[in-house]
Amino acid sequence: MTDLDVPPVADEAAAPEPTGTARPAWAPWWPTRREHATLRPPALARHQYLTVFAFITALWVLVPQVITSRQDQFNTNLWIAYSIAGIGFYWMIGLAGRAAFCQTFMMALGGYASAWVTRSWGDDAFLLGVVVAMVATAVVAGLIAVVVRKAQLFFFAIATMAVTQIGIEVFTQTESFTGPNGVTSGISPPRIFGTEYLRDTEIFPMFVVILTMVLVAGAALERSPLRREAIASRDNPLVARASGVSTVRVQVVMFAAGSSLGGLAGAMIGHWTGVISTNSFSFDLAIGIFLMVYLGGIGSMWGPVIGAAFYVALPNFLTSFEQYNTIIYGSLLLVVILAMPKGLVGVIEKAWSAGTSLVRRNREASHA
Amino acid sequence: MDKFVALTVSGVAFGAVLSLVALGFLVLYKSTGVVNFAHGDQVTLGAYIAVWATTDVGLDLPTIPGYVVALAAMFLVGILIERLAYAPIRRRPPFSAVIATLAAAITIRGAIAAWQGSEPKSLESPVGNNTVNVLGANVAQQRLVIVAVAAVAVIALILVFQRTSLGRSVRALAADSETAQLQGVRTGRIAMLTFGLSALFAGLAGVLIAPLSSIDINFGFTLMVTAFAAAVLGGFTSLGGVVVGSLLIGLVQQLLGGYFFTDYAATMPFVLLFIVIAVRPGGIVSLQRSRV
Repeated sequence: MTDLDVPPVADEAAAPEPTGTARPAWAPWWPTRREHATLRPPALARHQYLTVFAFITALWVLVPQVITSRQDQFNTNLWIAYSIAGIGFYWMIGLAGRAAFCQTFMMALGGYASAWVTRSWGDDAFLLGVVVAMVATAVVAGLIAVVVRKAQLFFFAIATMAVTQIGIEVFTQTESFTGPNGVTSGISPPRIFGTEYLRDTEIFPMFVVILTMVLVAGAALERSPLRREAIASRDNPLVARASGVSTVRVQVVMFAAGSSLGGLAGAMIGHWTGVISTNSFSFDLAIGIFLMVYLGGIGSMWGPVIGAAFYVALPNFLTSFEQYNTIIYGSLLLVVILAMPKGLVGVIEKAWSAGTSLVRRNREASHA
Repeated sequence: MDKFVALTVSGVAFGAVLSLVALGFLVLYKSTGVVNFAHGDQVTLGAYIAVWATTDVGLDLPTIPGYVVALAAMFLVGILIERLAYAPIRRRPPFSAVIATLAAAITIRGAIAAWQGSEPKSLESPVGNNTVNVLGANVAQQRLVIVAVAAVAVIALILVFQRTSLGRSVRALAADSETAQLQGVRTGRIAMLTFGLSALFAGLAGVLIAPLSSIDINFGFTLMVTAFAAAVLGGFTSLGGVVVGSLLIGLVQQLLGGYFFTDYAATMPFVLLFIVIAVRPGGIVSLQRSRV
C-alpha cells in the first residue's frame, strides 16, 4: 500500500482501511509535501530549517557576485540589520498581537548599551556588548510589558509610543551614558577574538552569521508550542486562558524576545557605522518598520526580511521623488492593507501553490 | 502667586484644547470603534491650512474667515480619509483599521512636509498678542479665547449627542453596534459624518493653540498623545469624563512642568500617559466589555 511510516493504529481491526492514502503511480519515493501534512502537525510540515539554509546559502554565494558598488554593500548590510529588527517586531506584533511603537527605542537602547560596554571595557568587549544590549532591551521590555500588561490593543500601542518619546528625551539628557545631546560617536568597530571587522565587505559575512542565528531561532520558534500559545493568546485570550495558557506570560516573553532582537540590530548598526544618535532611530524608522513587516507579510518571519529589502531598496528607485518619499510610504502601506493583507509573502505563497497545483494536475493528466 | 495664576490659566487653556482633541477622536471611536492615529496629524494639518488661508502665500483672508475655511477644509479631509482608509476595510478586524489610520497619518505628514517644508510657521490670532491682567498675572488673551471657544464647542457637541438623531444613532452604535444596525442605523453615512466632525474638531484645536507657539510637523502628534492620556483617564467613553480628564492633565502638566521637572517638561505628557495606562486599567476593562 504505502511505504510511509504511518503511526501505529491502536486497534487495527476497528480502524477503517485508509483509502485516501493510496499513492498514485507518479508519486516520488519520498513523502510528498501533502503527505507530510497529513502525518505531522502543519507547523512541522513546512521545511523551515531547509528554507533558512537555502536562503543563507543563496545570500552567501550571490551577494558578493552581484554587489559591486559600496552603496549597494552598505544597503545590503542595512537590510540585514533591519531584517533582524523586523523579525523581532514580527514576534511581538504578528505572533503575540502586541502592537508596539517602541522597536526603534529598543534599537537605540541596544546601540547605546553596547557602545557603553565597549567604551568601558575596551574594544575587545564587542561580543559582551552585544549580549548586554540584548539582555538590557529584554529586561526593559519585560518590565514595560509587565507594567502595562492589562492594556489591550490601542492602549498598549499608545503606551509604547509614550515609552519611545520618553526614551528619546532621557537619552538626550543622560549624556554620561549616551554622549553630548544623545550622540555617541567613535564607537569601536566589531572585534571578535582579535580580528577587527571594519569595511562593509568585512562586516557583511559577520552580519550574515548573526542573521543565520536569528533565522534558526525564528524557525525553531515557528515549530514550537510557544508560537501556538502566542497566537491563541492573540486571537482568543479567554479560550487560551481556559486551556491553561498563561496569556500574560506568553505576551511578556514574546515582547521581550522581540525587543531584544531590536537591541541586537541597534548594537550591530552602532558598531558598524560608529555612530548612534536619537535621530538614527526616529519616528520615520518606526513607521518604516511597520511598513517592512506589513509590506512583506505579517503572517510569516520571512515577511520582514522581504519587506526590509524593499524598504532599503525603494529610495534608490525614487531618487527623483525624494521629497515625496513619506507620502509614497504612507500610500504604499494603505495599499498593502487594502489590497494584499498577507503582504508579499502572501503573493509569493499564492503563486507557489498555484504553480505546484498546476504541475500536479499536468502529472495526473499525463498518467491518466 | 502670579506664577501660580499664570500656570493655572495656561493649564486650563491647555486642558480645553486637549478636550477638543480628545472629544474629536472619541466621537469617532464611539461611532466606528476606530482609534484614529491620524488625529494628531489632522490637528497639524488644520493649523497649516489656517496659516495658508490667512497669509499672502494663500488666500490672504482676515483671521476669522480664514479659520472657517480651514475648518471646512478639515471636514472634507475627514470625509476623504473615511472614504479611502476606513470604508474599504470596515469589515476587517479592528487592527487593520488602526494600521490604515497610521498609513493615513504618514501620508498627511508627508503631504504637509512636501507642501510647507520643515520650517516652523506661526499663525495669527484675532486677538493678537494682547495680554490681560488676571489676579496680578499677565495672561495672553488667546488663552481666554481658547477656553471660551472650547467651552462653546464642547457644549454644542454634547447637545448634538443628546438631542439630535445623529447623536442618538452614534450613542446606539456605541452601546451595541449590531442591534443598532438591525434597527436601521445607517452606519456608512454616520461613519462619514463622524470622520468629518472629528477632523473638524482636530482642526479647531489646531487653530486655537497654534497662535501660542509655532507649528511644525510634530505639533499635533504631541497633542494627540496627551489627549490620549486625558481620554484614558476620563474612562474613554463618557464625554464629560474626558473633559474632566483633559482639564486635570492640562493642570498637572503645566504645574508639575512649571515647578518641578523643568528639564523634562516636554516629556510630561508621555509620562502621564504611561502612568495612566499602567495604573488605571479599570477604565480600559469596562471599555472592553462595552465594545466586544
